[in-house]
Amino acid sequence: MSDIGYYAEKAMGAARDYGQSEVYVSEAVINTVYIDDSKISNIETKLDSGLMVRIADGGRQGKASVTLNGDSSVGECMSMAESVLRYSPESTEFKGYAQPGQARIAMPDVWDRRVEDITPEDLREMAKTLIDSCPVNIPRAQIRVSTNDCRVMNGNGVDCSHRSTLVYGHFTSMTVGEHPGEGMETYHGTHLDIDLRAIGESLARQADAAASSHEFKGSEKLSMILPPGQLGDMTNSSVVAAVNGENVKYGRSLWKDSVGQQVASDQFTVVDDPTVRAPLSCVFDDEGTPTERRTIIEDGVLRSFLRDSFCGDSTGNGMRRSSVEAQGAYERTPVIKALNVTVKPGRYTPEQIIEQTDRGIFVERFAWPEADEMTGRFGLNVRCGYIIRNGEVVDTINNALLMGNMLEAVRNIEMIGNDPRQMGVVTVPTMSFSGTELVGN
Amino acid sequence: MMQAVLTRAEQAQDILHNAVDRMQDLGAEFSDARSQTVRVTGVSSMNGDIRQLVQKSTGGVCLRAWAGGRWGYGTATSFDRDAVMRAAEQAVRNASGERKSDLVLEPATVREHRRADVRIHPDSVDLSEKIAAAQDLDRAQAVDDRIINRIGSYSEEVKTNALVNSAGSDLSWEEVRTLCRAMSVAADGQRMERYYDGPDSTLGFEVVRDADLEELGRVTAREAIETLKADRAPSGNLTVISDPMVSGLLAHEAMGHASEGDEITKRRSFLTDAVGRRVASDIITMYDNGTVRGAHGSVPFDDEGTPSSCTTIIDHGVYTGYMHSLETASQLGMRPTGNGRAENYGKRVWVRMTNTYFGPGEWDRDEIIADTKEGILCDKMVNGMEDPVGGCFEAKCLRGFLIRNGEIVKPLQSFTLTGRSVDILSSADALSKEVVLDGGMCGKGIEDWVRVSSGGPYMRARMIVGGGQ
Repeated sequence: MSDIGYYAEKAMGAARDYGQSEVYVSEAVINTVYIDDSKISNIETKLDSGLMVRIADGGRQGKASVTLNGDSSVGECMSMAESVLRYSPESTEFKGYAQPGQARIAMPDVWDRRVEDITPEDLREMAKTLIDSCPVNIPRAQIRVSTNDCRVMNGNGVDCSHRSTLVYGHFTSMTVGEHPGEGMETYHGTHLDIDLRAIGESLARQADAAASSHEFKGSEKLSMILPPGQLGDMTNSSVVAAVNGENVKYGRSLWKDSVGQQVASDQFTVVDDPTVRAPLSCVFDDEGTPTERRTIIEDGVLRSFLRDSFCGDSTGNGMRRSSVEAQGAYERTPVIKALNVTVKPGRYTPEQIIEQTDRGIFVERFAWPEADEMTGRFGLNVRCGYIIRNGEVVDTINNALLMGNMLEAVRNIEMIGNDPRQMGVVTVPTMSFSGTELVGN
Repeated sequence: MMQAVLTRAEQAQDILHNAVDRMQDLGAEFSDARSQTVRVTGVSSMNGDIRQLVQKSTGGVCLRAWAGGRWGYGTATSFDRDAVMRAAEQAVRNASGERKSDLVLEPATVREHRRADVRIHPDSVDLSEKIAAAQDLDRAQAVDDRIINRIGSYSEEVKTNALVNSAGSDLSWEEVRTLCRAMSVAADGQRMERYYDGPDSTLGFEVVRDADLEELGRVTAREAIETLKADRAPSGNLTVISDPMVSGLLAHEAMGHASEGDEITKRRSFLTDAVGRRVASDIITMYDNGTVRGAHGSVPFDDEGTPSSCTTIIDHGVYTGYMHSLETASQLGMRPTGNGRAENYGKRVWVRMTNTYFGPGEWDRDEIIADTKEGILCDKMVNGMEDPVGGCFEAKCLRGFLIRNGEIVKPLQSFTLTGRSVDILSSADALSKEVVLDGGMCGKGIEDWVRVSSGGPYMRARMIVGGGQ
């Protein structure tokens, strides 16, 4: 293991002469077990460490990153950054790197020593637990656990370190036979409290349901019920994109002029909450700006955007780290990310939401849950969904397109569930929305 | 700079040999050691200001040990001999455990050292010219006040690989990729639409010097503005003329992923046992070909050291074969096809596509349109998703055009295509002579991104269409 403090200070010493300077060093140890066809196919151990230097002289900026593989790496990185700076045109948008600030929240609980101490044998045991819990085949799965250490320093006096652990799992399941059904689960967290037995059981249930599904024919307007596994990415690609300060700055957000206005149903309250266990929860962001619990939408009224130092008046959302992958944080230029965007839960169980829906579809699984980041539009292939009539599931379907617009859907919320779950940088419960359309063959 | 990198690669070769010897001594039945350095230059200019200007250099060594039917991986970011040996030992430890199979891998022995086949190596071009290319693309899009966002970008990647394995292979090769892109966002009140275009390649800076950047930027902006007039696409099972980009997405998502050898060995693909079966109309022929000169997905060798090749996947409508890594080839008693690829030195090797495309037909594009009574013409893709188990696919199109009585009557907003792959390809009744490949990134599952291209001709077929609201 290298010493990130040593490299950060050495690089900062070299960069300090420039008008503006910043160094970011990250180091990760990543252990992964892969399962193919319900057998352990490989186990890997990765060490990853690197450095990014950003320097600026007036409006000109130089930026470079290198993998840390010895003392010469710092000199190589500085030399590349200086070379870029020499050629850089003047920027009128550059406002300088982060200013130092006092911590506004306590350190969230994002370190699990068990991750640091994990062995190949532990990974094998975890894989076996999953395999034994899932009565159908697991064609592909992985469990990845990582430690992540990083430090950011800049010429304005910022000097922040962060340590966290990351536990990520991606799992698929499949029944055999003429019409196989498939299931999928993901896990995002910071601690080794992943319930592999529950995941195995869910994978089997999903695959069995998909196996009994049939192709949807015709078209109809109906309500859409999305569980957290599908709603997380849908929320991130629509609501979170619409409050992204860079999209606002460049006019790419439909909510750019909507602060103080009703943009969603009054049931809809959203906060960015880095104070609790979540993959990107932290006291300072990856530029060194203090983070805080921030209300974004309150009772449907837009209150705030998320910003980094490039956008100015940073809210502490300038991030290099990823919520799923510890490798390569040092390579990434900070971009605005949600730290832990959380939708306030409602009072309904998923079963109650179904019972109170006259005509709807509960989507077990889309091909890929995603809305258009600018417009909120979506047209998504339903891999497995339950058709609801008068509060009861009457059919299980596949291969249809569900169409709508997420920025409209949040205005048309029918019910919000009481089952929030963390999906990457978003924590959401099951929710139902009116105004979508299902089209089949 | 290039000389220094090669020298480091040559020094690494010796360490790689020692690492393979170490893994074999510790009990590996097969092992390989792969080092990689990647240098990236990226420039983007947005609304007249430089938004991104960066140079990156990453590198590391990946050690793989095969024992008892499973892989163990160890990765080091240092080329230091001790660090590499520790990673080699870790790889063997990771491979140990309960025996899974007695499968024997059978790699070819290859000894070759290749430089990238480029006319103008990006290393020989001043950074100022690369910055100017991005700025020119940005500036050229300033054609109308409704363009609220102009992005001109340039990027290059120079990857130097070295690989040694226990079968006696000793390889090094260089990959160069150069691309530039214009993207315009147009807005008119509450409507917002975008358009993009630009070349990608495994060629050098000639890609930029040969391009008319002014024209590229101007056309991109005008098309974004044109899309503001677009209506919502109709929904249902319709006649669709896919453009080469969307045809490629169909090849890649609908048939390509399902033809990856690991999906076959797990019987996770609807194409398992399909060799010899009719899966498309007889005008359809499809390839995965890693040897197409200049195409974005081309590689001289895969990340296991197997030379890339051309695999015919569909021959005149009949399914003919799969793509393989060393492991899946051995499992199925086939030859490896050069499709064992990894995102980088820190990621696992899987069976992955290279350049996947449908072969040409006999029509001109305009003849297909004129021959279509009612349908949709696609224009550019957003992204797609495979479904190897269910045999379906999803393709998001950036925009399209409504066709009535053989004529284009109006533009359409983004929409999504889906359907059963075999039904769609069996309904194909017209292909254009023109085949175009388009570069992009392909993930497997939800990560492990590798550079690929996909493409084909304009293709007319029946698909389910749905437009967002």
